[in-house]
Amino acid sequence: MKKALKIFFLLGVLCSAVSLQAQNMGDMRLNEILVTNTDDFEDDFGHKNGWIELFNTSYGTVDIAGCYLTDDPGNLKKYMIPKGDILTKIKPRQHILFWADNQPFRGTFHINFDLANADEILFVSSDGRTVIDRIKVPADMPENISYGRTDDGIGAHDGSAEGWQTMERTSPSTNNTDMYGESKAARLEKADPYGALMAFTAMSVVFLALILLYLIFKNVGNYSIRKSKQRESRATGTPVSSAKVSAAGSSSHEPSAEVYAAIATAMHLYREDSETHDIENTILTIHKVSKSYSPWSSKIYTLRETPQLKRK
Amino acid sequence: MEHNIFSLIGENLQEFFKFTGFANATVGHLIMIPIGLLFIYLAIKKDWEPMLLVPIGFGIVIGNIPLFPGLNVGVYEEGSVLNILYQGVQKGWYPPLIFLGIGAMTDFSALISNPKLMLIGAAAQFGIFGAYAIALAIGFSPAEAGAIGIIGGADGPTAIFLSSRLAPDLMGAIAVSAYSYMALVPVIQPPIMRLLTTHKERVMKMRPPRAVSQTEKKLFPIIGFLLTAFIVPSGLPLLGMLFFGNLLKESGVTRRLAETARGPLIDVITILIGVTVGCSTQADKFLQWSSVKIFILGAGSFVIATTAGVLFVKFFNLFLKEGNKINPLIGNAGVSAVPDSARVSNNVGLEYDNRNYLLMHAMGPNVAGVIGSAVAAGILLGFLS
Repeated sequence: MKKALKIFFLLGVLCSAVSLQAQNMGDMRLNEILVTNTDDFEDDFGHKNGWIELFNTSYGTVDIAGCYLTDDPGNLKKYMIPKGDILTKIKPRQHILFWADNQPFRGTFHINFDLANADEILFVSSDGRTVIDRIKVPADMPENISYGRTDDGIGAHDGSAEGWQTMERTSPSTNNTDMYGESKAARLEKADPYGALMAFTAMSVVFLALILLYLIFKNVGNYSIRKSKQRESRATGTPVSSAKVSAAGSSSHEPSAEVYAAIATAMHLYREDSETHDIENTILTIHKVSKSYSPWSSKIYTLRETPQLKRK
Repeated sequence: MEHNIFSLIGENLQEFFKFTGFANATVGHLIMIPIGLLFIYLAIKKDWEPMLLVPIGFGIVIGNIPLFPGLNVGVYEEGSVLNILYQGVQKGWYPPLIFLGIGAMTDFSALISNPKLMLIGAAAQFGIFGAYAIALAIGFSPAEAGAIGIIGGADGPTAIFLSSRLAPDLMGAIAVSAYSYMALVPVIQPPIMRLLTTHKERVMKMRPPRAVSQTEKKLFPIIGFLLTAFIVPSGLPLLGMLFFGNLLKESGVTRRLAETARGPLIDVITILIGVTVGCSTQADKFLQWSSVKIFILGAGSFVIATTAGVLFVKFFNLFLKEGNKINPLIGNAGVSAVPDSARVSNNVGLEYDNRNYLLMHAMGPNVAGVIGSAVAAGILLGFLS
């Protein structure tokens, strides 16, 4: 019973950890904001408004339904992101944009305040208490200039400006850094056109991994041999130093594995020669036993009694 | 009226004919189907890796039946049965399951008893990076070159896993090439081994491996996993499953799980991976110059890997005391085609001394090669993805 309880407890802990992970709103970050929009991108209704961009830093989908956006630290529940909208499920490493137009009836992504007088923007968990990310809005932000993280999702999330900068150009719903920059593979191709660097690095790592494994198991092996030697000397009553270990790891007076193999083969051949072995080696054959009658196969016992009609 | 009925039947038959393979056959299909049949022939008649070549060969035939487009039956048509089965290859979850089975059936005793053999498994990975450099030189991108290079790891599941991530378009050619050369190990390796060794080296006797305690066997998958996964976390799916399977085998308390992993599970996945990889060689995707180049590079990577393994042993022997030296004929076994390359070492050794059994010794580098190729795959994935 105790064992079952332990298993259930472990499963419970595991499940709760998994469910926490699945709903990891803590991976969301405020990523870029535009306070005043007079000549930048328009929303679906053709209006130019400020906006707040969020970024999912994780490699799993995060549902932000029920979380809050606010510009008032005294009112953390100012705008609740509606539940039931499939678009609030943010795919891994993706962005989502909220228009700060004070027109919430225009849809999930139009919030109920604008950024004209905002000093600070906060993203709050669905419990309405935990602040996941916050950023102080710099005073006198110029029109059509956004303020964002230099690299998506990287930097502070306690309100300080670490990792934030005034952006050269706005990038709503897309990467703040140049997404057309060179990929890792392209950079590698340029730096190492013949693959020599890659071969050297990779082979060094392969060797390093296997050398470490070799060193560990060399020592484990030595320890194991020493222990078995000690056990043997205790059993035979001889001192450890006199029980010399042979190359095969066993003591010198003990027959080697090859000797055992030779004895086993000889016995096998002997048994084969003396015809005690079956014709087909290592195959179990069932010989048919010819018996004309057996109560187990008799149909008489398996039939019902023939019904008899009794007439008076 | 009668005339109308016949013309209607004629029209129907004509319409039906458009859907048949005869109407849709191309030269590509007519080339690929015999290739599939050749695989089946080699497997049945020559006994070359039948467990792999029969499913792949038949898969090639299935995948190259000329189809009228839009019937939703082809492997590349989304939602078709074959496409659903192919997801395991595309998303890369068949290979780790195969590795689970490999772990559950592998006995690492030879390696544990003589851990220096691990270094041979590392040396043979030169094949991967040699082929990578050549592939770069002939114009493949780094990601494609990495996926092609892994053929030299001689590990079908690893090749599929890596190519599905680095070069999905080349996966069919890479997988077929990897499995074909694995089947050809007994043909490719012996001439290289003979060329690079002297008679004295070939008849060199090695010290019998010591008996390995059960504790060491239990520790190996745990330590091996922690170490390799910390060094190359990108190889986690392959390394994790390999060592987990081995722990199931060695723990002594999960016999049923180990039996399932090394029996029914690996059989099911082998069938699915073989057939779907075969299907993926649809003529229009497969018959390209790049496939021919991949086949040539694959052969090259096997040659480099074998050469590197044998030469490394000869070099290593310079530092070993007499009596501890390693027979260079087991150098080829670092190519992780388990257990074929180890069997090749044994057979070539027996040709020169019919009492010199090298199989147990060769199994050490052979299983080290599996670890080495998984680590190499992780490195390539980390650098190139």
